[in-house]
Amino acid sequence: MILQAHNVEKHFTEGRESVAVLKGIDFAVDRGEIVSLEGPSGSGKTTFLSILGCILTPTSGDVVIDGVAANAKRLNDIRKRSLGFVFQQFNLFPSLTAVENVEYALNVKGIRGAAARTEAERVIEAVDLVERKNFLPRDLSGGQKQRVAIARALAGSAPILLADEPTANLDSTVGTQVLEMFRTLAKKENRALVIVTHDPKVRSVADRVVKIHDGRLAA
Amino acid sequence: MSVDLATKSLLHDKLRFLITVSGVAFAVTLVFVQVGLFLGLMDNASLTINHLDADLWVTSHNTANIDFSHTFSETYIKRVRSIPGVARADNLIVWFMNVSLPNGAVEGTEVYALEDFSRWNFPWNVVDGNVTDLRRGNYIVVDDSAKKRWGAFEVGEYREVLGRRLKIIGRSINALSFTTTPLTFMDYRLAQSLNPDDLRGNTTYILVKVAPGANVEQVRAEIRHRLPYNDVFTRDEWANRSRTYWIQSTGLGLNMYLTVFLGCLVGIVVVAQTLYTSTMEHIKEFGTVKAIGGGNADIYSILAKQATIAAVAGFALGAVMSYALRPVIEKINLKLVIPTPLSVAVFIGSILLCLAAAMISFRKVASIDPALVFRT
Repeated sequence: MILQAHNVEKHFTEGRESVAVLKGIDFAVDRGEIVSLEGPSGSGKTTFLSILGCILTPTSGDVVIDGVAANAKRLNDIRKRSLGFVFQQFNLFPSLTAVENVEYALNVKGIRGAAARTEAERVIEAVDLVERKNFLPRDLSGGQKQRVAIARALAGSAPILLADEPTANLDSTVGTQVLEMFRTLAKKENRALVIVTHDPKVRSVADRVVKIHDGRLAA
Repeated sequence: MSVDLATKSLLHDKLRFLITVSGVAFAVTLVFVQVGLFLGLMDNASLTINHLDADLWVTSHNTANIDFSHTFSETYIKRVRSIPGVARADNLIVWFMNVSLPNGAVEGTEVYALEDFSRWNFPWNVVDGNVTDLRRGNYIVVDDSAKKRWGAFEVGEYREVLGRRLKIIGRSINALSFTTTPLTFMDYRLAQSLNPDDLRGNTTYILVKVAPGANVEQVRAEIRHRLPYNDVFTRDEWANRSRTYWIQSTGLGLNMYLTVFLGCLVGIVVVAQTLYTSTMEHIKEFGTVKAIGGGNADIYSILAKQATIAAVAGFALGAVMSYALRPVIEKINLKLVIPTPLSVAVFIGSILLCLAAAMISFRKVASIDPALVFRT
């Protein structure tokens, strides 16, 4: 398994009270597998995604990513090496063109110069944005922005891709196109893909659907 | 090559960039103009000392600066001339006198009187006439700066100094004093005869040129020994003493430091505010940098680079504005002196100021939670 979570709990403190958001989740994803993580608002799915993405640390339990146990000192390195993110709001850098957005992410991961540019061009081509690669995000449609975000997540060799509501800001047709593209690319490059969503369309591209309810995985 | 997010992000919002650069440029211009004017005034305060070719100056005891001279016996010159190592020594009178102008007004002048001006290469910039002619009669050489106070004059005209008609036989330029009183040059004996009550048998300074190879300190020690009620200064000491007097007595130094401080404060506040606002507006981008694996160091380097770019651009704009102001300032008879060390110091100061301003943003980004990228 490329991604494993064992008995993950997460508590947040609100005032004097400790609120349990995740209550002992076991979860695993294999290479090339696409999982849709669903649940109502407040169920804890985004918190769980944040823990899988090494952005938050669990209160208890273990997360192992690409064979490396995620502890507080390694989170940054794991994010650089093993994870790619796609966000609901795209989170592109508005001052960078499409291809520069991808290239900058590679720079952060330690890939620079011609290697970064070549890889950025490759994934931009993969998401079919060659003709718009030099456009700033403000000049791209919502679907194009999300394709740039997917290209950014794919860039490099991160074996795990995590997506948070990737179709929430797209219309139905564009959302379907983006999901199909995402699935095709993840499968082609044998990446694990976890998608947190409310969108029932995601089920059609997922290999497996996992539901979270009240901080626990639903049966 | 890496993608230059810092520069692209900074230039993306052109209006904010312009405001940031303007803040730095304002501070730089203020510092250049204030310090430049100060240095210009200080230059005037010791201008004649620096141009008179004397190694040592004998003054009456506790004379504060060259303009406010006091008299002592001119016969002391003999004691100085007899000291081994003294190549030459001459009496110099510096004295304020009144000048009656053709329009009936009375103005002041600061008289420099020597027996032989050419021996001391003084005044150093004579544009009309010959100073060696001064000893031939009731003649004066007047600096062109007097035209502002006296009105226009030409060589060959007469002006009445302390009731005596003196012929203008030459003009100098750039001979200025801190007091802005115009300088007039005349023969030593003529000056004494114009004000016999104060100057007959008296001088105000003795200029000493030390012989080649002689030890200046030894000569000075011997002068002090022979003239125990006078002070003896090297040229640099005397120039410094004259400048220090004006700095301390007029509050000019305090004024300059306060203005420089306020200029820097305004600059730092503008830069800090614009950088901080920019940081807050780009907080989600910085969160994204962290989410994709970047650390605080990556974000610090972005902010530091933006601060440095703002500093360099602001310095360039401020320097151009300051140099553009020079001719305007010269028209009102002031000097804006911007030496290279000042430019270097202001350049380094601008960068440090902007980096200091970025520190507030550093503190903010250090606390960014990358989980904010999941928030809508």
